[in-house]
Amino acid sequence: MKSMSLYVERESTVHHIDPITKLVYIAAAIALPIILPSLHTAWICMLISFVILGMGRVLTRSLPIIGFVGFILLTVVIIQGFFHVGNETVLFRLGSWPFYEEGLLFAMGITFRALNIVGAFLILVLTTKPSDLVESLVRKGLSPRIGYVLSSVFQIIPQMMATVDTITDAQRSRGMETEGKLMTRIKAFLPLIGPVVLSSLIDTKERTLALQVRGFNVKGSKTFLNEEKMYRYGSAMRWSMLAIVIGAVIWRVIA
Amino acid sequence: MSLIEVEHLKYRYPATEKLALNDISLTAEAGELIGIVGKNTAGKTTFCQALVGLVPHFYKGAYGGSVRIGGMDVKESGVDETIRKVGIVFQNPFTQVTGSKLTVYEEIAFGLEHLGIARQDMMERIDHALHLLDIEAYKDRAPFDLSGGQMQRMAIASVIAMRPQVIVLDEPTSQLDPQGSEEVFRAIQSLSREGITVILAEHKMEKLAAYADRIALLHEGMLIDYDTPSRVFSRSDLAEYGVEAPIYTRVCQAIGFRMLDMDTYPVTLEEAQAAYEAQHSAISASSQEEQGGRYD
Repeated sequence: MKSMSLYVERESTVHHIDPITKLVYIAAAIALPIILPSLHTAWICMLISFVILGMGRVLTRSLPIIGFVGFILLTVVIIQGFFHVGNETVLFRLGSWPFYEEGLLFAMGITFRALNIVGAFLILVLTTKPSDLVESLVRKGLSPRIGYVLSSVFQIIPQMMATVDTITDAQRSRGMETEGKLMTRIKAFLPLIGPVVLSSLIDTKERTLALQVRGFNVKGSKTFLNEEKMYRYGSAMRWSMLAIVIGAVIWRVIA
Repeated sequence: MSLIEVEHLKYRYPATEKLALNDISLTAEAGELIGIVGKNTAGKTTFCQALVGLVPHFYKGAYGGSVRIGGMDVKESGVDETIRKVGIVFQNPFTQVTGSKLTVYEEIAFGLEHLGIARQDMMERIDHALHLLDIEAYKDRAPFDLSGGQMQRMAIASVIAMRPQVIVLDEPTSQLDPQGSEEVFRAIQSLSREGITVILAEHKMEKLAAYADRIALLHEGMLIDYDTPSRVFSRSDLAEYGVEAPIYTRVCQAIGFRMLDMDTYPVTLEEAQAAYEAQHSAISASSQEEQGGRYD
């Protein structure tokens, strides 16, 4: 089945860590370089994120995404290196264009922080089942309705895409041109999108009925089929991350 | 007191003039399998949804009379209470998949989680439902990867796990291929054997004739007849209501084979066979008599 999730099934310690701890890690990984805005915090945090990805044995999976983000960040390096406001020290010249050290360092700071955030999110996305994430959020007090929306998206959207394919084939078999020039495609848009919207509306009504008779609106506390995923050192990890962030704040204030 | 008591049920959808259900009264006992027949727009779906309280609570609209399940009034109790006693399975298996669960096993747990059933109890119920519907082999598959018949049986299992006293099936096989329908009918039979009261709206008359205890014939929102399959399907005015009797009944009607000592026609293959043999032996006996007379 087509799935929208990026989750990679692997056996590793990182996979066993509960989703909440990973969420706390994201928060800490974003907060730390903001609290301590030196270049060193930025690259250390980035390195930690990448090491965790490596421990989760998903580093190869994250390379295309990191590469894509890195490509965009490369343009930042080029632009800042040539045009940063505080540019003074010339590093090298490209023809008659000087490339400055200040701009490079500034751009490196941005790059490390951005890659750090991407890495932290990838840890969550690549090593956590979406359903586990939503379930632990619902346990922590997220409304089950919002939880349902979040977790059903991963399966309902591919279903809708399959419907689009079916409708496209059906319209094509009636002789409609769906490929070719831009004008042809624009003309094909309405006869395609109309049935898609209508059928989704009907599906939604039917699914609403089906959910309602499965107790979706029943008041009172919910139970869970799966036992809560608890990592033995989860709470220790969360507290130590909090301690590091608080420590960083104190460091910033004192120093 | 009967398990299901429907009294003078009238219902009109919002923004319509015509009554979708017009003065329906019937009762059903625990453990019965009741078939509901009638052409499209006869009110089958509306009646099915009235039994769970989706009519009137989901659609609103004008409502009169009462539906009581085990003494509980559906209109007063609302859908969330009614579903603890009555489960419903709809036509389209695809739109009944919640889409929030990754395996069949978890999918069946969806209703139980919302009802707040304890985990241990939940697993027992799911195992029982999987077994009853014969889908144990697929319990770790993704719900959307199943075939139509398997998906519909999963939908039935999801409802059965909630342990209702009554299960309403609204044309559960209308979107399935013959093999899928057969699987679902086998499942419905095993539900009936378990003692669950089944209300089954269906177009496949041969199946209803074989399994149903009683048939309710609906037409334009009215209950025309509520009787045993053989009496309902032997009605001479059946075609006026847009319903076709089982093929066996039509054949026997055409050649005039009645049930032995009764004024109804056979509705199943077995009954038709019995009627044929009875007729045949009567004919051969009488012709022997004739022959015997000639030789005298």
